[in-house]
Amino acid sequence: MNLGFIGVGAMGAPMAEHLLDAGHRLSVWSRRPESAAALVAQGASWCDSPAAVAGASEIVCTNVTGSADVEGLAGGLAAGFAPGGIHLDFSTIAPSAARRIAASYAARGVDFVDAPVSGGSAGARAATLAIMWGGKSALAPRLQPVFETLGKTVVHVGETGAGQVAKACNQMVMVAAIEAAAEAARLAAAAGIDFARVRTAMLGGSAGSRVLEVFGERMAAREFAAGVEARLHHKDYALLMDEAARIGAPLPVSAAVWQQLNALMAQGWGRQDTSALLRVLETGAGPAR
Amino acid sequence: MQVGFIGLGLMGRPMALHLEKAGHTLHLWARRPASLAPFIDKAAAVNAKTHASPAEVAKHAEVVVVMVADAPDVEKVCLGENGLAAGGKAGLIVVDMSTINPNAARNIGLRLAQQGIDFVDAPVSGGEMGAINAALTIMVGGKASAFEKVRPLLEKMGKSVTLIGDSGAGQVAKACNQILTGVGVMAVAEAFNFAAKSGVDPAKVREALLGGFAYSKILENHGQRMLDRNFKPGFKAWMHQKDLRIIMEEAHRMGLMLPSAAATAQVFNAIVGSGMGENDSITALQLLEKMSTAE
Repeated sequence: MNLGFIGVGAMGAPMAEHLLDAGHRLSVWSRRPESAAALVAQGASWCDSPAAVAGASEIVCTNVTGSADVEGLAGGLAAGFAPGGIHLDFSTIAPSAARRIAASYAARGVDFVDAPVSGGSAGARAATLAIMWGGKSALAPRLQPVFETLGKTVVHVGETGAGQVAKACNQMVMVAAIEAAAEAARLAAAAGIDFARVRTAMLGGSAGSRVLEVFGERMAAREFAAGVEARLHHKDYALLMDEAARIGAPLPVSAAVWQQLNALMAQGWGRQDTSALLRVLETGAGPAR
Repeated sequence: MQVGFIGLGLMGRPMALHLEKAGHTLHLWARRPASLAPFIDKAAAVNAKTHASPAEVAKHAEVVVVMVADAPDVEKVCLGENGLAAGGKAGLIVVDMSTINPNAARNIGLRLAQQGIDFVDAPVSGGEMGAINAALTIMVGGKASAFEKVRPLLEKMGKSVTLIGDSGAGQVAKACNQILTGVGVMAVAEAFNFAAKSGVDPAKVREALLGGFAYSKILENHGQRMLDRNFKPGFKAWMHQKDLRIIMEEAHRMGLMLPSAAATAQVFNAIVGSGMGENDSITALQLLEKMSTAE
């Protein structure tokens, strides 16, 4: 298939590589050309603009940072797409932004698919991402070759924006679990008990979870170098709490977790792993024993 | 003085009329022409001229008051096509009395300053009754020189007018006001619900507490309305939700934890989500009651 890829950062680069390896022709553009150099060396074609990428592709994948970035790219891509083209966006953005972008493409006969992912750069490298997508279900057969190359779990959640809602739910559940693990670590330490042992005991029982395994281990070892940079989770919380306010949904636990993330940011730990939520608790409770 | 006024809604209309009564000439523009009706009614004989755009208003006025819903509206009126900036001469003062994000206020102020236009943020507390009775509390941010020029106008609309600090400071004060009133209403609602579910009369609890350190105007006034089961606004819950949303957004931008306000904002989300947003903020009590009663 003729594919395009824009946004070849820590997540995007390995994803684009997998698509090349699977035998697809790949057109790329990047704000900083040097970040696409490795892909071009592996056989991708460099294009001078997003419009040129869209002109050469049936499906253009994007993986960038914020709603505004995706909206900006969509403006450029729209000029190049032939009718029937698909903009497949893997970024985490506001559900309302996804719906806005889809509407802006509709008159041109171009489809927009929101397909945020979970699994981090490790999941991107191993092609084991969880992909949750929103858009017309009729598009599934055309998207399938891309999805199966990049991810392990692929779920069509619903109409446009539904993928982003699922991602918001994912972030909410995951970061709340990180906060819960941090509070357990704090309680254990304050009681003079080794959290590493508590964690091992818990992993075998009903409180066992992937978060306790991965983030709990970082907390036990006090290894707060990222991982997942906490500032990215912080960014996601602005999106999901704003969506909750827009639709009038109370999220009491998420609201509390959000404030802990604010405190983490204030203390300058945004580029550390989100397990640094433990350090926020320690700020309010004296040094760890 | 030649005074522009944009935003003639529930609050804006009586505020504009106070200025006219004090002898000023009003220059008006409205998105919905219907809002202009009470000002152009011949029988009312209001000293007001209407204009085709905010730019036209700015051409004719020394001071323009803006009283609209949210930051994007203020930005459009000030900096949009045919906005105030397009018509205002250097020396014009724009007084924004809307409640918006402090950072948005600072940015609008900076952009107007590039054209020599002074921007003063002057959000109010006191609701529709305060506007009608010219009894608003007005919290002002901006240059002292601009404040002194508009102070006589503000004093026709409000009882308490305070210069808090530089541009944006008025909005910060308003945000503080909304944190205190939002969390305060929740605290009284929780206390009353706790008392009632414990089989104790909340009216007696209120009476006792008014004499102690838990005394507050909210316990006195909002508390009484809760006891009277009078949920008519007052200050609508959806507006409090909007204000809390602005505050939480600003706290996020700064990386600042506001744990109580965050929890309170969720209750206001629930109020709006369950269709009670048009009630007064004290409807928080009804939500708590609903959530503490078996189906």
